[in-house]
Amino acid sequence: MAGPGTRAQRERPTVFESYERARRGPKVDEKAWDFEIIPKTATRLKEKYGIHMDKKVMVPTDPDLMRRLYEAGLEMLMECGVYCISTGRVIKWTKEEILMALATAPSSCVIGEGLDARPMLPRSHKDSRPPLVQGGPTGAPCSERWFYAIHESYAKEGIVDCIVDGVLSSVNGYNPAPDSPWEVLAGRQECMMVRMAQAKCGRSGMGL
Amino acid sequence: MRTSDNHEVSQLNELKCDVGALTFTSHYLLAGDIIMVEQMPIFGGFAGGLEETTIVDVATTLNSFVTFSGTWHLDGPVHMRWGITTTREALAIAGHAIMAVKSVWPNLMSGNQYYTLAGPSTRMCLLETAAQAITDTASGREIMSGVAAAKGVITDKTTGLEARFMGECAHAVAGMPTEQTNEILDALVAKYEGDYKTAPQGKTFDECYDTVKVVPNDEYMQVYDEACAEMKELGVNYKLW
Repeated sequence: MAGPGTRAQRERPTVFESYERARRGPKVDEKAWDFEIIPKTATRLKEKYGIHMDKKVMVPTDPDLMRRLYEAGLEMLMECGVYCISTGRVIKWTKEEILMALATAPSSCVIGEGLDARPMLPRSHKDSRPPLVQGGPTGAPCSERWFYAIHESYAKEGIVDCIVDGVLSSVNGYNPAPDSPWEVLAGRQECMMVRMAQAKCGRSGMGL
Repeated sequence: MRTSDNHEVSQLNELKCDVGALTFTSHYLLAGDIIMVEQMPIFGGFAGGLEETTIVDVATTLNSFVTFSGTWHLDGPVHMRWGITTTREALAIAGHAIMAVKSVWPNLMSGNQYYTLAGPSTRMCLLETAAQAITDTASGREIMSGVAAAKGVITDKTTGLEARFMGECAHAVAGMPTEQTNEILDALVAKYEGDYKTAPQGKTFDECYDTVKVVPNDEYMQVYDEACAEMKELGVNYKLW
């Protein structure tokens, strides 16, 4: 098959190809996916690769354990694929396609603009350079009364590099229910208020 | 939104997605946006136990760059019983999964999101935050995303001071030997893991901040100073503490 990641076409897989496979992949029952395919495959791979973790160790130091975990995870993605709940079909990728996507994935980006731009660069566990701080409510609900001030409290922290916003619990007093016009209004108001909070703190180029 | 903002799309538990997510990701891709692909594997959920959930987390992390053309992966292993990312198991899953991925693909970028059990203006909330910040820093994450205190479900229980503590703990331990961070983490998690059933709900933003000046009130600053002192006793020293 000539397609993304094959020798005939070394193209990075994109969401367009994901969608085509979601339309045409093998049909699977969702309950079988959740209660049989995922748990059975994970258990089998744990045994195949002899994986045992110690809860007292948060960060592994054994390179062999890391490698076996990686191989198990890669095999899990290859063997299972990704289930699309909208079509009831499985998006399947070959090993070559997965490796192609990983090899060509972005290895840097810049979050924000101007003086507030923050380069995001790969780190290792030994790195003396700390991770970036994406400060914010991380999707937690905020009232209309305090949304703006809460995000100002994050934007004014010098150690915060960019903002991850909360969600309005109401908009003009209405429930911003999913797939409703109020949800669209809430989304726009959230974005506007975060930008205002950043600007008030003199950080108008800060990423969101 | 600007192209330099993080444009979020979520996978579903476990190794699932929907067409809507693919559709709006196509817009992100064509607009040249940064694509942040989020997924929180559930410890005790479909996958099962510690090792099984870690395997799924590795697969999910890789999938962000395959099915969704992600710029970076936003992780967040979550404990089924407590609904938080700061339990011993959740931290071990996150630490092991990203170290496994990085052992082969050191340039893949990822972050982790923070959901604590305790609410703002409590010692427990800050200690939970510290444990995850240390784990993420010591396992090579590029970015930390938080903090959704009080499990991220109670309105207005979130403030900038939790993010300050998250950042300061990360700055304090960056570059520390892994064996040392593991010893600190084991002792740090032991300080709060026995308190899950009685975790303090904490205060809302307006109860622990001066809402005119938008600064933490004296009571919260006292809690913060006490948490800093506890971290110093464990060997975590930020330059401004």
